[in-house]
Amino acid sequence: MAKKILIIEDDAVLQKALGEYIGSEGFEVASAPDGEIGVRMAAETKPDLILLDIILPKKDGFEVLQEIKADEQLKNIPIVLLTNLDSVSDVERALELGATTYLVKADYKLEEVTEKIKGILNMR
Amino acid sequence: MMIEKRRGYLLSQRKNKMNKQEIAEQFDLKKEADELGVSVWQTPSFLFIVMGVIIIAAMTGIYVVSENYDNPNIVIISEASVVILLFTIGNFIIRTVTEVAKANKMKTEFISIASHQLKTPISEMKWETELLLSKFSEGLSEKQTGIVKEIAHSGHKMGRLVDDLLDVARIDQGQLALSKDKIDLCAMVHEAMASQKELAEASKVKVNMSCPVSSLAVVADKRRIAVVLDNLISNAIKYTHENGVAEIFLEGQDDAVQACIRDNGVGIPRAEQSRICEKFFRSSNAVKTKTDGTGLGLYIAKNIIEQSGGTFWFKSIENVGSEFYFTLPVSKEVSNLNLNK
Repeated sequence: MAKKILIIEDDAVLQKALGEYIGSEGFEVASAPDGEIGVRMAAETKPDLILLDIILPKKDGFEVLQEIKADEQLKNIPIVLLTNLDSVSDVERALELGATTYLVKADYKLEEVTEKIKGILNMR
Repeated sequence: MMIEKRRGYLLSQRKNKMNKQEIAEQFDLKKEADELGVSVWQTPSFLFIVMGVIIIAAMTGIYVVSENYDNPNIVIISEASVVILLFTIGNFIIRTVTEVAKANKMKTEFISIASHQLKTPISEMKWETELLLSKFSEGLSEKQTGIVKEIAHSGHKMGRLVDDLLDVARIDQGQLALSKDKIDLCAMVHEAMASQKELAEASKVKVNMSCPVSSLAVVADKRRIAVVLDNLISNAIKYTHENGVAEIFLEGQDDAVQACIRDNGVGIPRAEQSRICEKFFRSSNAVKTKTDGTGLGLYIAKNIIEQSGGTFWFKSIENVGSEFYFTLPVSKEVSNLNLNK
């Protein structure tokens, strides 16, 4: 069965490009355009992994991360922060809140993001 | 017991030495002014010293007046004048320091906003072209594929330029925060050489590497060290004539790893060597050889290496070649480090 990936990203171009690439690699993809819908969709779809932006409307990535990690049913879902905020303090905060890893979008190819996902889900 | 005492003595000596060094650094007004992006006379330390001098002068003045004039009115007027003077200067100092703090806050916010807003369209361009080339290239002619690859390459160059400008802004602000990753410098040099392969082939410059062991572990920021290697290796290729050679030598020392990037290219004129690591400076023969270039590469590389606990230096002879060296501390502990896979 295909692994489910939830992309919480407000930039439509990035969301589409990432979704299409990951989808073509055999994953089942769902997308949310803001933090509020993201938390709701996480609870509804119980994805295998979440790709999460930080600057989001309604609820930012850190809030989403906190809420998901505080939920007993969702807390074990690996969350990959995918953002262009690249200060060390942002990275440290995300890791402290329980993110599995932190990727700067501008530094990573879609292929590398997909490889990271496969690595986290033990698919390599 | 003796050893412990001696160790304690040595530690306290080192601590004293460090304290003196820290005090000396605190009163390095030029450095402080550069870090804050203000004139020397606007630095808090300078204003503090001026305030101290004025207080001493004012107290001396009051003492002289009280000694020489019996008239209490004159003493009161002089004391009142001193209070007004101190109040005015204190107010000026508070305003100046507040302005400096506000300006710094704005610069920090600018870096954060610029980082996000400039990188987002670059990410879009990179991901869209990658998606097109890797998943939807069917039906594209060779010519069309070539054009899309050129667009992707331009996007990559723009990304690097934005990274460089943001890094310079962070260095100037004293905010270049580096992560501590355990990295294999040999593997990173291989990766950097691979990324410069097209440039080397186009420039007809041979690039060789020599590493005495299979891996050399150092502790540094992986992404930033990749930038340093890219800058130094691409410079060695760009400023070397056709059929020239660029070589990278790595060697492990007791507590550091040393890298040397050597070329037999145009070199740096002696008169310009002292300025070569300055921001935006490009040597006259570099400008003649290659028109593109920002003059930021060496400035960024030197700052990254020095902030990583290493040293950075070079030797160069015009029309003979250049050797750029840097060291990085070796990794002894694996715990508490980000292991970048």
